[in-house]
Amino acid sequence: MATKYMDYRPGFAQVDPDDPIHGELMEVNIGPQHPATHGVLRLAVDLDGETMVKVVPDLGFLHRGKEKACEGLGWAKFFPHTDRLDYVQPLINNVAYAMSLEKLADMEIPQRAQEIRVLLMEISRIAAHLIYLGTSSIDLGAITMFFNTFKERENIYSILDAYTGHRMNNTYVRIGGVYADVDEKVEGMMREFLDQFPARVDEFEKMLTGNRIWYDRNREVGVLTPDQARAWSLTGPNLRGSGVEWDLRKNEPYCGYETYDFDIPIGTVGDCYDRYMVRVEEMRQSCRIARQALDRLAHTKGQDVLAEDRRYVLPPRGKVMESMEELIHQFKIVTDLRLPKGEAYACVEAAKGELGFFAVSDGTASPVRLHIRAPGLMNVQAIPLLAEGRLLSDVVAIIGSLDFVMGEVDR
Amino acid sequence: MVIVKRKELSLSERLYLPEIFRGMSMTFRAMFKPAVTRQYPEEPLPTDEVTRGQPRLATNDEDGSIRCVSCGLCEAACPAYAITIDGQDTDRNAITIAGDVTEKFIEREPKEFEIDMLRCILCGFCEEACPKDAIFMSDELELADFTRKDLIYGLDKLKRPVSTLRPRIDYIYKVNERWQASSSTR
Repeated sequence: MATKYMDYRPGFAQVDPDDPIHGELMEVNIGPQHPATHGVLRLAVDLDGETMVKVVPDLGFLHRGKEKACEGLGWAKFFPHTDRLDYVQPLINNVAYAMSLEKLADMEIPQRAQEIRVLLMEISRIAAHLIYLGTSSIDLGAITMFFNTFKERENIYSILDAYTGHRMNNTYVRIGGVYADVDEKVEGMMREFLDQFPARVDEFEKMLTGNRIWYDRNREVGVLTPDQARAWSLTGPNLRGSGVEWDLRKNEPYCGYETYDFDIPIGTVGDCYDRYMVRVEEMRQSCRIARQALDRLAHTKGQDVLAEDRRYVLPPRGKVMESMEELIHQFKIVTDLRLPKGEAYACVEAAKGELGFFAVSDGTASPVRLHIRAPGLMNVQAIPLLAEGRLLSDVVAIIGSLDFVMGEVDR
Repeated sequence: MVIVKRKELSLSERLYLPEIFRGMSMTFRAMFKPAVTRQYPEEPLPTDEVTRGQPRLATNDEDGSIRCVSCGLCEAACPAYAITIDGQDTDRNAITIAGDVTEKFIEREPKEFEIDMLRCILCGFCEEACPKDAIFMSDELELADFTRKDLIYGLDKLKRPVSTLRPRIDYIYKVNERWQASSSTR
């Protein structure tokens, strides 16, 4: 007796449940260890032959209680934890968190710090998109792409290593700015990278865009209409791939993005192929922004990169040794950094969409509540929408093209 | 706003076979390019003063005395709760900062100073918090041992002469030069 099921999506394979060729549904687990799930995502899939009838994402395998951890740790000590949310773009997470605290504290950020933040965010965005490109193509069998993108990503990490001292988990953004200034060596490395990178993107495109396998497996797969994308609150390249012109860098500018000259790429159809093209174009645009930020840094040389606000920013190192007042500040800020009572939400356009931090403070050293609006969670929610009614092999392309990191989904 | 192009496949791309040969030629050419991989244990990544390695405690060059006064600020700043300090009173004479005797006596010193290297995330917050120039991120990165207990580093494993940490100390002072024009006494 065939199991009755309905809700087939229009436009996809219609199956008559009474047809004897359709037996019982088969339950298949995809993940949590499958490499194509980009972390520890488990998909419970009901299969009818090779058609997916029902797809249920199962989350929580990487839940570490980040939001609750902040309530115990306090404001400043949560910075290293933000690195580990979406671990392929730690600096963007740092900036988003710092921005919500700065909003709460009503701080002015120095011009140079803003420029460095923009520069770091765009570099991180390129790194995150390279991961997308590498992992989604290796899922579809293009192993060469994986090595090529990771080679480029290594260059970015070498730059970040020279600047922050770490390759990943940088923790270099502080309340009021960034920890250290960018020196000539790092600027030179960045310039060198940005000069050669557009040619590399062209090469990636040469390998994939006209590739028959890539083409067949991505075209018209996982089509997301603009209305669906809005209804499921998707943001970032997934939304823009569907043709909605929405980018926080343009629509709600922060860090002075309104003064940079760049375009936001949008797609027309909203399938995996469009999302891929949008991300590739975004890497080029990020290059453009990063170059402008580098040019601006030349004009603000020697300026402070941390706001002069003795309530929240540690005093300069040399003075701590000499002055009693500075020593008191040092002790106060490290042990008991209090932010004013109130609520603040700050969001940035991360590589995967709108990343926001909502902080509620009661005036003490730790938040009452910190909510993280992670774009990855919404991206995961769209999987059943796109995958149901399609063939099993398409789910790999869909997961790859939605681009999420389980670190921020489960947090 | 820029609308991304949706490429249609050309005949050779649709046929696939010519593209295979184009791809193979690309792979073949890559054989003659220099290798980008690194033979890690023999050829480690270069480190410099910017590298944030494992934290180490600075000791004065003159007499090997520890700079830490067990104020507990690094313990308070540590987001991973990796540091445990047990302080004790002391009446030893102090030689401080770069050879200048700025303080005659140090009243406290750590009896026990433990950093759990399994917990440490190398964020550098302890270094940032320290008001006595006593803890610094060294360029030592490698960390392996046979038992968990051996990875809880005590004073014996953490002490380093300040001269070996000098480049890092200079770097930290350089990046923390700010607000030159102002003072805290308002």
